[in-house]
Amino acid sequence: MGKTIYRYAVATRLSHWLWVIAFGVLISSGLQIFNAAPYLDASDKSNPARRVLSFDAPSDGVGTTTIFGATFTTTGWLGWTDDGQGGKTARAFPGWLTIPSYQSLADGRRWHLFFAWIAAVCWLTWLISTAIKGNLREMVLMPGDIPKILPMQLYYLKLRKEPPPHGIYNPLQKVAYTTIGFVIAPLVVLSGLALSPGVDAIANPLTWFFGGRQFARLWHFTGMIALIGFFLIHTFQVATQGVINQMTSMITGWYRVGEHEAVES
Amino acid sequence: MKRKLFLASTISSALAACSPIGTALNNNEGFHKALGAAQGLNHMAIGTRGLAREYTDADVDRDFRVNGLATPGDSHYQSLVHSNYRGYKLIVDGAVERAHAFPLAQLQKMEQVTQTTRHDCVEGWSAIGKWSGVRLADVLAAVRPRTDAKYVVFHCFDKDESGTSYYESLNLHQAMHPQALLSLRLNDAPLDADHGAPVRLRVPTQLGYKSAKWIARIELVGSYANIAGGAGGYWEDQGYEWYAGI
Repeated sequence: MGKTIYRYAVATRLSHWLWVIAFGVLISSGLQIFNAAPYLDASDKSNPARRVLSFDAPSDGVGTTTIFGATFTTTGWLGWTDDGQGGKTARAFPGWLTIPSYQSLADGRRWHLFFAWIAAVCWLTWLISTAIKGNLREMVLMPGDIPKILPMQLYYLKLRKEPPPHGIYNPLQKVAYTTIGFVIAPLVVLSGLALSPGVDAIANPLTWFFGGRQFARLWHFTGMIALIGFFLIHTFQVATQGVINQMTSMITGWYRVGEHEAVES
Repeated sequence: MKRKLFLASTISSALAACSPIGTALNNNEGFHKALGAAQGLNHMAIGTRGLAREYTDADVDRDFRVNGLATPGDSHYQSLVHSNYRGYKLIVDGAVERAHAFPLAQLQKMEQVTQTTRHDCVEGWSAIGKWSGVRLADVLAAVRPRTDAKYVVFHCFDKDESGTSYYESLNLHQAMHPQALLSLRLNDAPLDADHGAPVRLRVPTQLGYKSAKWIARIELVGSYANIAGGAGGYWEDQGYEWYAGI
């Protein structure tokens, strides 16, 4: 039984849980928006010749998913799905995954643009509060952490008895924080902004950087997939590394330090 | 293992709860209204600044996508089409000092500008067109807006199935933007009926629904609250944002 340390400040905990809500809303309202034009082109303007992904209903009762030219039948899951009102219809993502459940681009945009602000403010709050506390160095992956990633993974997989020595956060946690905070979050925010004709007029190079407006839409979608991937890995890690202790610390701030964890700070 | 199963089921039920909870909140009038607050922030943060990107002839969609309400089929509009718009006059009135009805020939004699810009639809697709016509700012300058004029409202010929007319609006700042264009031509040819002939708006700094087609009349007003549904446009009356820069 190790001692307990105060690990998460109020701002961190509050932004974390607000972010969880924003995450759910942004994905489900984003899928609602996506349903209005259920295809992604690797180009500036829409161009079927550069289509990477599309969801279609070639006939009533049949849904298909086409990815890089290969078509799969996905009836009921993608392409021909639940209309959110008890029936089935030609619709890329099903009603049980979207906000609102029925087709409404206007309402999807309303939710998405509101929670985009919440997510952005949470991200900035986390970044600033962490930087002020000087924890950024503890959370961001440094060159010295790289050799410790594999041993840490082996420890998680129970192929190694002890974790490599580390600070408050272990090397894999640092990988997670760095990926979400400095790669995925900026990718999602910037590619989303690049979709806006108003932002494009202010900062032409931003939309250009993503390969144009449709390509930015593809990046935005890719960012969502990455977010879901992060979410799955993150919850798996929490579940396997003392779920009660982890959840308690993210709610109360107090974390019980294990016998193997050296507290350097 | 039990704990993982418990967690997995908690997570999946939390995700599955997103849609029904969201849908219920969406149908709550107060909550729905509160969500609209983002529009003011976006308008403030982004607004109408800078210039939409200009493209080259090689980028142009020769077969520019037709979208929106159906081409007007009423006898008045159809007679205009058949007379090659000879009887057409663009009425510009309201809070102006010199209301005027511009015949098409007069608009064609004013300074013509060309923009090759991308049309970004709210649905998510984009297309590039080469548009030529008169700057909206030039037409407004000719009628001299009064000091109480705050918005420019575009009344259109097209109607939906229930008979509701299309309309749109811009504030004066947006209307005076150098790329706010009253377009008379598309891709080096006179605008055709399906693309909004004889006069349509182009506002490349905002989403496509602002670029109203088939304009019959431009009215300057102090407020659009008393026009149709009161939200400033056909799609705005159905819940879309008035500020469509994002």
